[in-house]
Amino acid sequence: MARIELQQLVKRYGEVEAVRAVDLDVPDGEITVLVGPSGCGKTTTLRLIAGLEHATGGTIRIGERDVTALEPKHRDLAMVFQNYALYPHMSVRDNIAFGLQARKTPAAEIKRRVEHAAELLNVAQLLDRKPGALSGGQQQRVAIGRAIVREPAAFLFDEPLSNLDAKLRVSMRTEILRLQRELGATIVHVTHDQEEAMTLAHQVVVMHDGRIEQVGTPADLYRRPATERVARFIGSPEMNVLDAAEAGALGLSGDGAARVGVRPEHLRPASDVRDDRVAGRFTAHVEMIELLGANAIVTLRAGERALTSLVDSRLLPELREGEQAPFAVEQGTVVRFDGDGRTIAG
Amino acid sequence: MLDRIPLGARFLAPLLVLVGLVVAYPLGYSLWLSLTSRTITQRETEFVGLDQYTGLLSDGEFGTAMRNTLVFVVLAVTIELVLGLLLALALQRQERVRNLTRSFLLTPMFVTPIAVGLMFRFLLNQQLGAIPQLLDVFGITIDFFGSSLALITIVFIDVWQWTPFMVLLLLAGLESLPRQPFEAARIDGASTWMTFRRVTLPLLRPVIGIAVLLRALDAFKIFEYVFATTRGGPGDATITAQFEIYRTGFQFFRLAEAAAMAFVLVGIVLLLSIALYRLLMRQEPATR
Amino acid sequence: MMTSARRLLIALACLLVAFPYAWVVLSSFKTGDDLNEPSKVVFEPTLDNWSEIADGGVFQSAWTSLLVAAVTVGISLVVGTLGAYAISRFRTGGAATRFGILLSQLMPPAVLVVPLFLVAFDLNLRDTVIAVIASHLTFVLPVVTWFLIGFFDAVPKAYEEQAMVDGHGRFGAFRRVVLPQVRGGLVAAGIFAFVLSWNDLFYALILAGGNTTTLPVQIASYNTFRGVELGAMSAAILVSVVPVLIVSFFVQRRLVRGLSGGGLKS
Repeated sequence: MARIELQQLVKRYGEVEAVRAVDLDVPDGEITVLVGPSGCGKTTTLRLIAGLEHATGGTIRIGERDVTALEPKHRDLAMVFQNYALYPHMSVRDNIAFGLQARKTPAAEIKRRVEHAAELLNVAQLLDRKPGALSGGQQQRVAIGRAIVREPAAFLFDEPLSNLDAKLRVSMRTEILRLQRELGATIVHVTHDQEEAMTLAHQVVVMHDGRIEQVGTPADLYRRPATERVARFIGSPEMNVLDAAEAGALGLSGDGAARVGVRPEHLRPASDVRDDRVAGRFTAHVEMIELLGANAIVTLRAGERALTSLVDSRLLPELREGEQAPFAVEQGTVVRFDGDGRTIAG
Repeated sequence: MLDRIPLGARFLAPLLVLVGLVVAYPLGYSLWLSLTSRTITQRETEFVGLDQYTGLLSDGEFGTAMRNTLVFVVLAVTIELVLGLLLALALQRQERVRNLTRSFLLTPMFVTPIAVGLMFRFLLNQQLGAIPQLLDVFGITIDFFGSSLALITIVFIDVWQWTPFMVLLLLAGLESLPRQPFEAARIDGASTWMTFRRVTLPLLRPVIGIAVLLRALDAFKIFEYVFATTRGGPGDATITAQFEIYRTGFQFFRLAEAAAMAFVLVGIVLLLSIALYRLLMRQEPATR
Repeated sequence: MMTSARRLLIALACLLVAFPYAWVVLSSFKTGDDLNEPSKVVFEPTLDNWSEIADGGVFQSAWTSLLVAAVTVGISLVVGTLGAYAISRFRTGGAATRFGILLSQLMPPAVLVVPLFLVAFDLNLRDTVIAVIASHLTFVLPVVTWFLIGFFDAVPKAYEEQAMVDGHGRFGAFRRVVLPQVRGGLVAAGIFAFVLSWNDLFYALILAGGNTTTLPVQIASYNTFRGVELGAMSAAILVSVVPVLIVSFFVQRRLVRGLSGGGLKS
């Protein structure tokens, strides 16, 4: 396994800059997740690392080697695609073995590695079937198996879970985590799902419009978002962001900030916030209650503003749609932003 | 009352009637004809059963015609497939001026075949042809319509006109293939040849099957090039099935015999298409 | 390296395709003497060949070809569209019908021409365009229908179902919703069919007479063993080929798209 370094990486398509001067360090043996809304450049960056696209500028290093000018086959990487990209006319066994056959690995070695990978991914019983006869989850595992068998310097995952249904997605995430721990693999994983990023990553890279907004551990991004964009992107439901004036109306002091953010989980019914930990208190009109299970998403209206609150279901009897209720913001949870959207520390 | 008939049948009726009129009826009539001894001069016709057919068995010329046709089809379609595939692959990767080039290269299939035949007749003519003159510069003399080469020359005329057809179908096929298995192959490290042999070709198989089938069916009908150039000669080197039928029916006016020949041709074409179909279109599971 | 090999192949192909065209164009402007020197590229052009073919009736033949093709395609499109719709949507006639249509395409003209000839003879229809049109229908109808089935198959049923829920009958849905969607396919099929009819020699040779010569037959008539009327023949060839080339230029892109979309899935 190796680390990957991107220096001032640029990709331009005619007039459009898809990736702008990206600097990134992908540590060896860790999962780095590139996350962001569509069009942010995360997939392009991945494809640049893979060599499927030619960089317009900058360098890409894998381990100690500068691979910027190299074809994909010489970069010693393995990739798992969103649509699995399995060869439809070949059996699972041949699919997995293909990369090794391309490198003229001896047959006995191929057999050993294929069977080992199949065991690892629980697809050993499917080796003689064709992709058309497999379920989505099984196809995904074969695709991962095909990558593992190559024993590459690093793995590239391009939204591999996006085509799976919700439950399967969650179980496959655990699979990926397990595999990574077992193999000590270096993985660059692209997704648009922030929850996936938070659960999988050692290091999260939030991208927007071709640039990196912030790099850090999931905890870092949650507690200390660098910009308003990151703050809104991470965490579900999305953070409430108010102008300083609106914040004032809720009893929150902006302290000179242009905008103020409060996460729904920190904006709760007043009875749920200890008196000595209240940062601001106000009365709001309860508009809608969506029950999730242990929690509920409650949409409030305070003055002109709509706000989202994440409420423990046990407190729901206190709230009724269409009526007023007291709410409070917990101290120390407010995030302040300046006029450019950057977080003000402190 | 019309409402009683289901809509589907009403929609289909005109088509069926027309096809019945111009195809089914003549077909039946032709079959009946082949069992008679009708020539254009005799008004009364005698029913002779299978005599026409058995007559054909001992007809050397007809046998030669069928043999020539078969050789022609195999040679022409094979060359067209290989050239067509190479060209389609090249055109697919082409970046500059691609639409213009494609449009231009596809044009031969739209020219009326008689014109193509005549163009080549004179291009390859010993006295008036540009090509023998060109070859003369290199000291090469080829008698394109001599007995040993005539059929091959006709094959090449067909190749000139119909390779674009293969290119059209194969290109469409290539462009409809999913992109990702190819990207996966790039990352997996497969060489160009390996990718072609193990990914492109297998995925392209159904398209190749259709293309070969369609082209072969069409090639059996070859007539215009022979009519334009050799008229069957020298000797009987280039007599093809349809040409022989034309000759028998409309130069010698032995209509019943011509009809019988036509049915033998149809029979062979049918058998071969079924065989080709089975061979080339074996079902692969279609996945993304 | 692959790139230059590729470019070479394409360049070679273009050369091979262009060569006969160039020769025909040059020949059509050459005098009889110049024609005897095929390698002569620089010469005094003449319009004699062109006036010769005009006098010889080439434009009448072209007109006949146009008429035959237009009528054939017109009938085929109307009848074929209805039939193709039925086969695609209602599976009328089932697999047998589809197979039957494929079968008609297989038919070598040789097997149909004899009876068509006799029937025309008996009905006194020789030397009329009707006989030729009928014969052209035999191969144009199946091709058009086959194309259209493919195009109809590609239109999702949801559109018609939506229209029917909105209050239109089946035919109304067909006319307002489905037909506009396959319009491109109709045009492509129509052009393709037109070219097929325009180019036919075999049927026209046998079924048409002196008054109803089509263009391909006229071209063939310049090919005499007595004497070579190369110049006139070249001019006539151009009259036949140029319109088709112009049209095919525009249709090419649609054909490739149409084939990779609808038509290949048979």
